[in-house]
Parts: sequence; structure tokens; C-alpha cells
Amino acid sequence: MDRVRKLKLVLWLGVGLALSVAAARFLFGLGATTNLGDANAWGLWIGFDVMGGVALAAGGFIVTAVVYIFKLERFHAIVRPAVLTAFLGYAAVAFSLLFDLGLPWNIWHMIVYWNPHSALFEVGWCVMLYLTVLTLEFLPVPAEDFPRLAKVRAALLRLRLPLVLAGIGLSTLHQSSLGSLFLIMPYRLHPLWYSPILPLLFLVSAIALGMMMVTFESHFTAFLYRRKPETDVLAPFAAAARWVLLLYLAVRFSDLIVRGQARRLIEPGVYTYLFWFEICVLALIPLVLLSIPRVRHSAQGQWSLAAIGVFGVVFNRIDTGGLAHLRAGGGFYVPSWTEISISLGIVSAAALLFLFVMERFHVWEQRPADPNADPLHAPEFDKVGTTWLGVPSVASRTVYSLAVIVAAAAGFGFLTAERAQSGGLEPVSVHRARGGDVLWIDGNLDGFGVSFKHAEHMKREGDKASCVLCHHMNLPHDENSACASCHRDMYQAVDGFRHDWHASPSGANIACYQCHTRGQVRTASNAIGCDHCHKNLVPAKASIQIKTYRAVSYVDAMHRTCLGCHAKKAVEKNKPEMVRCGWCHKESREVIDARDIDLRRRTAAGGSPVLPPAGQ
Amino acid sequence: MRAAILTDVTKCIGCEECVVACKKTNRLIADVPRRWDAGDGLTSRNWTSVVTGPAQSHVRKQCRHCLEPACASACPVGAMHKTEIGAVVYDAAKCMGCRYCMMACPYGVPRYDWDAAVPYVRKCILCYERIRIGQQPACTDVCPTKATIFGDRDALLAQAHQRIAQKPDLYWNKVWGETEAHGSSVLYISNVDLSFLTDGQAIPADPLPQKTAAAMGAVPYTFCGVLAIMGTVNWVIERRIKLQKEKADGQSPET
Repeated sequence: MDRVRKLKLVLWLGVGLALSVAAARFLFGLGATTNLGDANAWGLWIGFDVMGGVALAAGGFIVTAVVYIFKLERFHAIVRPAVLTAFLGYAAVAFSLLFDLGLPWNIWHMIVYWNPHSALFEVGWCVMLYLTVLTLEFLPVPAEDFPRLAKVRAALLRLRLPLVLAGIGLSTLHQSSLGSLFLIMPYRLHPLWYSPILPLLFLVSAIALGMMMVTFESHFTAFLYRRKPETDVLAPFAAAARWVLLLYLAVRFSDLIVRGQARRLIEPGVYTYLFWFEICVLALIPLVLLSIPRVRHSAQGQWSLAAIGVFGVVFNRIDTGGLAHLRAGGGFYVPSWTEISISLGIVSAAALLFLFVMERFHVWEQRPADPNADPLHAPEFDKVGTTWLGVPSVASRTVYSLAVIVAAAAGFGFLTAERAQSGGLEPVSVHRARGGDVLWIDGNLDGFGVSFKHAEHMKREGDKASCVLCHHMNLPHDENSACASCHRDMYQAVDGFRHDWHASPSGANIACYQCHTRGQVRTASNAIGCDHCHKNLVPAKASIQIKTYRAVSYVDAMHRTCLGCHAKKAVEKNKPEMVRCGWCHKESREVIDARDIDLRRRTAAGGSPVLPPAGQ
Repeated sequence: MRAAILTDVTKCIGCEECVVACKKTNRLIADVPRRWDAGDGLTSRNWTSVVTGPAQSHVRKQCRHCLEPACASACPVGAMHKTEIGAVVYDAAKCMGCRYCMMACPYGVPRYDWDAAVPYVRKCILCYERIRIGQQPACTDVCPTKATIFGDRDALLAQAHQRIAQKPDLYWNKVWGETEAHGSSVLYISNVDLSFLTDGQAIPADPLPQKTAAAMGAVPYTFCGVLAIMGTVNWVIERRIKLQKEKADGQSPET
């Protein structure tokens, strides 16, 4: 397999994995497939897909400006790939927004309902308009191959200058408006990132990134298709990127000094390290190395530096978009594998489109030779079965289709029902109850529970005869099992039925139809309830009823046990406050502890002496 | 009248009757802790909660109904909206789920239906349907100790300052919500420091929407400026190329 087919195989795997995750995203919602939450409402899909995607598309307006405005014709060779990247980048941004928006089918509301005060309103309009401009800018390239579109092509070419001008204007606005998005959250974004001139910083870094992205792309496709890279054409870009990076550093650090935040640069902490890492990959390393002419003019130097710089700017966007946010009690956000796979899937799809357009149309000056179209291409055999896989193009399609199906199936397998369908509930184990005169019932150990006066309730309800009112004897001869032995989860009902216990004594397999309906698949839904056989499971006087084998959640069990009785007594005694929450939930752990200590002190002082008198 | 709520932390006993009343009035279903909760009791199904502050104090959390709401300014489709009477309300029919309001709110109040395939943003709406017909919100209506009361904002501010003046030893000399981010319709007076509600950060008096306003105001000028500069540069360069060409054409036959 050559380089292209290997890469395409990996990309198709990425697309396949994202397909099944995408289905889960739209069926079960954002909570099931992301690690987002009320404290961090934006994550990877905004930081990487949207903000990174827009930044990566910056090459388009830089190169069109250089060639069509400044008339530097020697750079003409890289215009088409740059515009194609920008187009695909923006298309990917729009597409990934469909995943991130909670109500993606309402995305058109942006056109109808206007709120010009919102930075996101500007961002949305820039995406829509610039995507249109990019489509019109790139259309002449595929139109070359269709003689019928000659008139359309000629018309678009006449419109080129206004289109290029509009593209530059819209890009300037859009690159900077992504920075404006964060101006309204000065308390959320860390002071090392938050600045009133964020729009300017975003614009300058986007210009530098655009230059590096064009360089990276040229070298990468050259490597892929064994094409000669435009090293000499790109060298002036590397030189210019140096000055832009220097400007960026100057603006960013002087802004920190003017705002009086310079001391944060040296105070140790996670955010400081994050900042310095970002500054190093984004500007310092490329800047220092680009200043060496030998590095700047070599293919390896250009492409590795461009890769570092591109990573740096995208990392800056991810920082601003989520990593550098101060969160109030929300924990640390780490994207889930489902979020990452959607992001990678969208990138893969965009890359596949890029490769397709490049192979099919006249994007580079020398179109890459399509290995599949070569009649002298050696026939390929499956390594295991030594079967001929057909003509190369068919063989590739077979392999890619297989990759998509395998990856989609793997994604489907990885999606656990616990995560997708639990509705955000996670099992919380309950601690065993401890006996005594006063029970401190606080299953989730948050310090707020109920101090249940066990002895008082017993005395009131008829001493030993009252046990069965609450201890419902679910287990044979049971008197004092911990509630938590069945009601094991704080909030979720669990299976309290022991199938083996019931099956063996009744006659193993023969006994199936004593409980299950004959002729149907034996499931819990067609089995009889507990009360069918255990007639005296719960005494008639008790306030609770047990019908099924499901042990309700601990919280529900406690509430149902108490509230059934309390509701009756509230009517009998005409005391409606008996069913209010505050009747039982009135004390916190601290209060109880304090009272206990106080009680012990008084006993020690007024009661019998703790130590026997001396001399005895 | 500009509707407002004044909460006196010293009077709150933490009975959570306001929470119950809120859930009943707004028909919010029962809730249990979820993975995506922020941990302060507010969720898409709990629009108010009572959290424990310093020194075992009970502090009620709810939407502050800012006078210059950041959420309403941030929403690209105008789904969040400050009504004339004072409540910040939400139009679910307009929302497209971008969650910018949640990011913009300085108090982190709006919550999301993370478990739903069709999710909406949820928060306290100051019982807009009740106050519009002259009733008071459900929470202030049921409060047994009158720790949280409803009224005109100016009258409540005056009352807050009066209470502080009467017991200067008990209260902090500050009405939370009077000036922060240009003030809010929900006010607090307290015997403990309430800055824990904003993670210890002091919120200055300048309205948050203003911070974006400068950048947004520059948009038309930037666009026209960039177009004009680029257009002029292009014109100059093209003309120079043309002149050079003419010169070359004119000279070549002679030489």
C-alpha cells in the first residue's frame, strides 16, 4: 500500500467511528455523549472544532491577499490549495456546530432573529457569509473540467476582486470576533488569557497561523504524493511569519504588563505552566528557529516548524475555549472519547474531501498522479488469502468500506448503555445503618440527614410489636438487616431478587413456569410479583407495600417508610407540618455532634463521678 | 414598578419551602444528583436552592435578574430577554442551544437539560406569569420567616440599608446586588461574606454587555477600513504594473 492509501484507510476508520457516535449524540443528547456540564457548558467541540477550525482556515485570506491584492504572482501556485483548505475548514466548522448546538435544527434562527449586541451573532454571520464567498472563490477550479459551466466560470472570474476583498474583510472580522466571544466572561477566563484586546490577539495569531498552515499543507501533500514541495516559494512566508509572531509576542506581553498581570507569569501554578507551554509552541520556538536562514530555506525546517506553530495556535484556541477557564466547583473538564471521536471524524471527513478534490481537479500546478489510474500498476494480492483484490480502484473501495463498517461497529460496541441511557445517574453506594436510640440516617454522607429517634418511635408504636411496621421482613426470619443490603444505591432502584435461591428449592429448570408465563421468553416483565407467594411478607398494618423484586433506591425507601405513616398521623392529629420536609430534615451533622458533646459534658458534671474518689 | 427580591441571610432557617414552592409553581419534576451538576443544587429542574455558606449560614441561590443581563446580551438570537417589570425571561421557541448564556453569566446560573435529546436552557424567571398579574413569586409567598421578600427594587434597597443601619454589628455593610455588574433585581444582606457565590471574586460595577460593545461597535468601521485599504493598495499596485508595462512597451521599439 502506498502512503495515500494508508492515510485514507486511517481517515475512513475515523469517519466510521464518528458515525455510530453521532447516532448516539442525536438519540440520547449531549449529556450521554459528552463530559460537558452546568459548570462547563463549552468543551472540545467549541475549542477545537470551531475555534481551531476557523484559525486553520486563515491561510485562505492571507494567500488571496498576497496574490490578488498585492499582485505577487510568484505565489500563485499555492492559492488554490489555500482557498480549498479555507473552504473545507469553514464547512467543517459549520458541520461540527450541528453537533454542539443543543437544537441544531434551529440554526437558521440566526438569520431570522437578530441580536446585534451578541459576539456570537457576528461569528455566525461571518461563517455564513465567508462560506458563501469561499464557495464562489473556489468554484472556478472544478468548473474547469465541465465545459458547460464555462459561462459561470467566466462570470465568477470577473467577480474575483470583489470576492477576494469581501473575503479579507470577513476574515478579519471573523478571526477577531472569536476573541470577542470571551470579552463578556472576565470572571471565567484566567487573567493570563483574558484581555480587552483579545480580538486583536486572535487576528494577529491567525495571520501567523495562516502562513504556517499553507507551508505545512504544501509539504504534507508533497510527501504524500511524492511531489516536489514549493520550498523556495514558501521561504518568504516563513520569513514573514517570523515578524508576525514577533508582533504577537510584543502585543501579548505588553498587554499583560499594562493590565498589571505580569506578576502572574512567574507565580507557580497550573495556569502559569499552561501559559508558558502555549507561548513556547505558539511563538517562541518557531520564532527562534525561523530566524536561522538555513532552517528557513530547508524543507524539513519549514515543515516541522509549521507543524509546531499550527499546533501552538490551535492549542491557544483550546486554552481560551475551555482549558484556561476558572470553574466554580465544577471539577476539571476532560473530553470524553465520544467527543474526541466526533472531532476526529469531522477532521477525517474534511481531509478525505481535500484529497478527493486534489486528485480529481486542478488544485496544484502538477496534478498528483493517481496510482489507481495507472495501467501499469502492479496487481495487488490479499496477504492472507493470496486472492487478487480486483483492479486497484475497486480494491481500495473494498478496503475503505470495510474500514468504515468495522470502525462504526467498534464505536457501537464501545458505547455502553450505562453512559448513553443512564440520564447522568451514576451508582452511589449506601452505607450500612447502625442501631441505637437515635439513628443518624445520612446515606450520602453530606452532613445533612435525619436524626431518627428510634427508641421513641418504638415506644409510641407498641414496643416489640412495632418492628414489622418498618422492618418489612423481606428476607426470611430477618429482623435487623441493614437497609443498605438491598437498597444499595442512593438514587437508583436495584435488583433485590435472588434468582438462584428461588429456582433451586422449587426444582431448578422444571420450576420456570411457576413464576414465568409459559410460551414466552422468560424475562422479569412476565414474572409474577413477590406478594403472589409471600402473602405475609408485609403485615397489614405496615405503611409500605412490596409487590415486585425491585429494591427501590435508598432515598425512596427511607421516604416511603416514614411518609406513609406520617401522612396518616398528620390527618389524625391535624398536624399538616408532619409531612413537610423540615419536620424531619432539620439538623446537620455539626449540630448533632455539638449537642452530643454538650450532653456528655453535662452528664460528667452533674451525674456520677467519672473516676472513683481517691483513697478507695 | 421594578420587581425585586430581597433575601436576608440572617433570617433564613434553611427549610427549603421556597424550593418546594418553586418546583410546584413551575411544574418541575423531581430531581436526583447527576454527573453534570455544578454541585450547588441548581439544575434544570431546580431553579432555586439553599446552599450552606460560611458559619453554617443558609444562602438561597437563584437567578439574579441583572439590570444589564450578560445572558440577554450574549444570546445570538435574543432568546433571553429582560422584561420591563424586571424579570429576565427565556423564549424556548427562539433558542438554538449554543449555551453562550451559560458561559456569559457572571454567577453561572443558567442550567441545561443535558439528559434530553431536545434540550433547553432553564433558570428562575422570577415567576413572570405571577408577577405580571400582580401576585408575588411563589418563593417569597411561602417563606415562613420572611427571609426572602418581594417588592419594588428601590423600596427594598432602602429597607436593606435601614436594616443594616439598625444592626450594624450583625450585618456586613454591603447590599449584594446593589452595584455588581450594574446591579441586579435580586438583593442580599448578610452576616457572612457572600463572595463565595462568585468563587471569591469581587464583581465590579461596570455592566458586562459593555465589554463586548466596543468590539461590536468597531465591526462596520473595521470592515469598511480593511476594504478601503486593500482596495487602494490593489489600485496603486495595478496602476504601477500598468505604467511599467506601458513604459516597457514604449521603449522596446526604440532600443
